[in-house]
Amino acid sequence: MTTVLYPVLFGILILVLWQTKTLHAILHTDTFTLPLPGRINAIIADNFPTILGNTIVTVRVAILGLLIGSAAGYLIAVLVVIFPTLGQGALAVTSVFTAIPIVALAPVMNNWTKDVSGVVSVRSAVSKIIVVALVCMANMSINAYRGLTEVKPFSEDLMKVLAAKPVKMFTKLRIPNSVPYIFTALKVGVPSSIITTIVSEYFAEYLMGIGRQIKENILMAQYAAAWAYIVTACVIGIALYALLMVVQALVMRNRKAR
Amino acid sequence: MKKIVKTRWFSILFWVVILAAVWEAAAFHVAATKRNPENILPHLYQIIAAAFSTQKVNQSMTATQLVLSSAATTVFRAALGFAIGVASGFVLALLMNLSGIIEKIAFPYLMIIQMIPILGMAPIILSITGSINVSRILIAAILTFYPVATNTLAGFKSVEKEKYELMASYAAKKRSLYTKVLIPQCIPYFFTGMKISAPMAITAAILVDTLQGDGGLGCVLSQSLRHAMSISVFWLIVFFSAFLGIISWKLMGWLEVMFTPQKRHLSKKKQTDGKDVELCTKEKNRSGKSFLKAGVLQR
Amino acid sequence: MTTEENSRNEVEISIEDLDVTFHDNSGNEVRALEGVSLDIRKGEFISLVGPSGCGKTTLLRTIADLQKPTDGMIHVAGRLPREERLMQKFGIVFQQPVLFDWRTVQKNVELPLELMYYSRKDRHQRAKDMLEMVGLSDFADSYPSQLSGGMQQRVNIARAFAIRPEILLMDEPFSALDEFTKEKLHEDLLRMWRQTNKTVIFVTHNIQEAVFLSDRICVLSPHPGRLSAIVDVTLNRPRTAEMKYTPEFNSLVEKVRNSFEGGSI
Repeated sequence: MTTVLYPVLFGILILVLWQTKTLHAILHTDTFTLPLPGRINAIIADNFPTILGNTIVTVRVAILGLLIGSAAGYLIAVLVVIFPTLGQGALAVTSVFTAIPIVALAPVMNNWTKDVSGVVSVRSAVSKIIVVALVCMANMSINAYRGLTEVKPFSEDLMKVLAAKPVKMFTKLRIPNSVPYIFTALKVGVPSSIITTIVSEYFAEYLMGIGRQIKENILMAQYAAAWAYIVTACVIGIALYALLMVVQALVMRNRKAR
Repeated sequence: MKKIVKTRWFSILFWVVILAAVWEAAAFHVAATKRNPENILPHLYQIIAAAFSTQKVNQSMTATQLVLSSAATTVFRAALGFAIGVASGFVLALLMNLSGIIEKIAFPYLMIIQMIPILGMAPIILSITGSINVSRILIAAILTFYPVATNTLAGFKSVEKEKYELMASYAAKKRSLYTKVLIPQCIPYFFTGMKISAPMAITAAILVDTLQGDGGLGCVLSQSLRHAMSISVFWLIVFFSAFLGIISWKLMGWLEVMFTPQKRHLSKKKQTDGKDVELCTKEKNRSGKSFLKAGVLQR
Repeated sequence: MTTEENSRNEVEISIEDLDVTFHDNSGNEVRALEGVSLDIRKGEFISLVGPSGCGKTTLLRTIADLQKPTDGMIHVAGRLPREERLMQKFGIVFQQPVLFDWRTVQKNVELPLELMYYSRKDRHQRAKDMLEMVGLSDFADSYPSQLSGGMQQRVNIARAFAIRPEILLMDEPFSALDEFTKEKLHEDLLRMWRQTNKTVIFVTHNIQEAVFLSDRICVLSPHPGRLSAIVDVTLNRPRTAEMKYTPEFNSLVEKVRNSFEGGSI
């Protein structure tokens, strides 16, 4: 009971401090830079269609990037299990991608995707999707590899004794075993795909997208509008995370939580 | 020969060579079809040549000098923010472990923090704090804070019931429980958090650089992107910032070995005792695992 | 009666009508122990035997003040278990080796001595002696991850003995070990017990082990956990491995087995 009550009370406290401008006094700022929650709400309500349009652009990139990157990462993990000798190195090289700053990747990818399409929105989306995919790929490949290899003791031996073919080894043992690990990767991947998308949008050609709107509104000193997009980004993040939790609960309803 | 082929280093080298080959092939293709190939994909040797070129890219510095001096600025800011974030993350985890109320209040917000696009908020933080330096450090600190806090908390929670009971049977004081059991045990988790956040702190510092002048890698990066200076500077920065991210991550791994006696002992043994093959491979597996863990524990 | 026999007959732990009830993770009430009364003599080696769920571990934990009694009384040397624990009179060995990965074997044994503010020199010497006693002197500078399971458990025993506890509590300490290691550790344990003459409470589900080691065996039955019989082990001391093949030994095993309610487990 208190598990829910305390955080909610804390949240209300912050909102009250914010709305009564006490927060502004603490941070030495004004309602122009840090608009009141009511004002942010009003802006979201007034500009709902515009915000929705930008949200769709961002969410599409984030989800496509996440899915493509995760699929590629999983495939890499499967290949590493099949070809362990060269695979170990591939895994190490892939994991290095997580350490590369997005700020360095995004402009490079913009350059590389210039010829993909004559339409700005398409080629910009492709560029952003590749960046998100690269970031998610490394995370997934590492987790999936663990999921595919860290099977219950002796289950591998059992499969061998039953003369299971390599394909069966995957479909009956390794792949089912990796399911919880996929969710572990996605739990990191969902927030990071959204943030990566937003940062890539800073550098993108196309003017739509939450990240781009935050930047543009700040350049024009429309802080309230920028806040509206930041709140939207948080809501998307929480919504996608919640969605992931629901999917996980459905997929793993017959398993013990890890 | 076969033995060399089977080592991890060989396979890493193999893939690095493959990636370089793909890059070069693409570079030849771009060079043949584009008017300004160096903007899209220069040859690797062109980038290396740019690194060693003595030609000045601005009034006083060569490309390498410029990149290194701005990198020093960026790294310093990132390190400062990182240190603050690590310290506060550790303290929060400690408080959460000490007090059930604090844990209950903070835990959901710790989850929500990772949903907030802090990097997206960079411009706003800039206008709230009014100082580019303060906001740079603040953003690096916030980004660092989350993985360190969650992983350290996971480290405290990993202490088995039996260890608490053992300490209780010795009538150990709370302070001894923390200094002798909980903190030493959470060290590897703490470093896992730092391995995740060190590259993030670098990314944050570079990104905030792009918002306003005042030196730093991001600043020079956006100048070169606007073709205010040679494009080779751009490529040097791309590679150098990737290098910084990787090295910051590696550095945390080395520090971890230094601060975990059992790992230090094993790696020392590995160096001096080459014959002990079994132990070596065991240790290799172990380091491979902790290496894998780096990206994993950020739940 | 000599003075030594006198002190051996002194009651160290007295348990009167003990009830322990707790809630498991899903909130169900578990009646772990009901109406247990038992006197344990000073210097006695006593075993608690029974199938899983009989509350033998709970009884041990209640004596060590790791579990609160719901009803009834426990006195240890005339004091409450909590007072005795705070006076650092207990040594405890769990089923799984509880070792600290970041400490060498030597430092693991020294840990409780640090908590008791022994000087560095005394700590070192005491730990060294203990490691010699369990035959691990050569591994003093190794880390726990480099030791086998049996060696790790020996470190645990050395650590428990290092503080010279008045009462040594052992919760299935050898159940995860192979037969050869177990036999070796049985002999080590009995030798160390003889040298120090402390009270040992030993939880096990292995009847042969209990007969071989103990002075008395308390047989517990499950649901709810209660004491169903106490069997005196009449074998001579020192015990030797050959005794395990004597008719006397087998009849004691038989006796313990028949003491379980319902005849057998």
